[in-house]
Amino acid sequence: MDCRTARKRIGEKADGRLPREAEGELSAHLAGCPACALDDAGSSVVGPALKAFVESRAAEAEPRLDAMWTRVRAGIEEQRQATRVPAWIPRWAWLPPALALAVLALLIYPTVTERSPFNPSSFDVSVEDVESDTATVALVDKGEDLPRVIWIIEDGKT
Amino acid sequence: MGRRNAPVRACAPALAFLLLLLLLGGGVGTAADTVSVDVGSIYASNEGTAMDPALGNIRGKLQSMFNYTSYRMLDRKRRTLAVGQVGEYDLPGRRTMRVTPLAAPEKKVRLSVQINEGPKSLLTTTLGLSRGGMVLVGGPSHQAGVLIFIISAE
Repeated sequence: MDCRTARKRIGEKADGRLPREAEGELSAHLAGCPACALDDAGSSVVGPALKAFVESRAAEAEPRLDAMWTRVRAGIEEQRQATRVPAWIPRWAWLPPALALAVLALLIYPTVTERSPFNPSSFDVSVEDVESDTATVALVDKGEDLPRVIWIIEDGKT
Repeated sequence: MGRRNAPVRACAPALAFLLLLLLLGGGVGTAADTVSVDVGSIYASNEGTAMDPALGNIRGKLQSMFNYTSYRMLDRKRRTLAVGQVGEYDLPGRRTMRVTPLAAPEKKVRLSVQINEGPKSLLTTTLGLSRGGMVLVGGPSHQAGVLIFIISAE
């Protein structure tokens, strides 16, 4: 192990991130390299001190952080309450208007939409009178099951 | 107690509205002094063998009554007319049909029908039908075939 790698390992050791398998190699290098051993000794002293300092600052800041999160949670809850349906409107309130609209649609449907194909219920027709100024008119009756036909014969065309 | 009645109170306006709609709908649908007159214009010819599905169950009847091979619905209009009210229908080929419901016994319909082609009167007739009944008026030439008008009344 060279010194450059050793310093990197020393940093990892101070952070507690040094792999176990690298510990032996680092120890062997430190035993033979006074400069790196000095670095390691310094890190061993400064690391825990730094950790203790950060922990103490975090402990000081914790109450403020807790207060901030409490405010954030309260804000989120307030927003949720604002978007919720007011309690005095029942959850099924949409049902009666929807039903009314459905009935309205059914009532209007036959007059505003395309109608069903012709399906007459009866071919019973009486022709009280029939006349034409310009054509010959024939009344055709081919039985009860068939519609009665008034046929206009224009100048013998049809 | 008050909360238990709340749903009933909330429903009341909607139920009243529904009732009103049903009454109005029923009134329009069953009024004896109005007639819904449906006029369809069919182009019958020997060009092809097309049969318009919009003709419903009268397709077979048309085929058994006439010798044309193709039947196509060109137009269809429906008007709700009061007794004495004139309904005018535009027909293909600059023709018009004027239909006037006349006084009739219950469940029956009487119609005065006049078909004109420009200033000429092609047909003037008075028909008596059952409600839901139908009559055909045909013959006016159109393109390579003829027109057949379906007049139905409800």
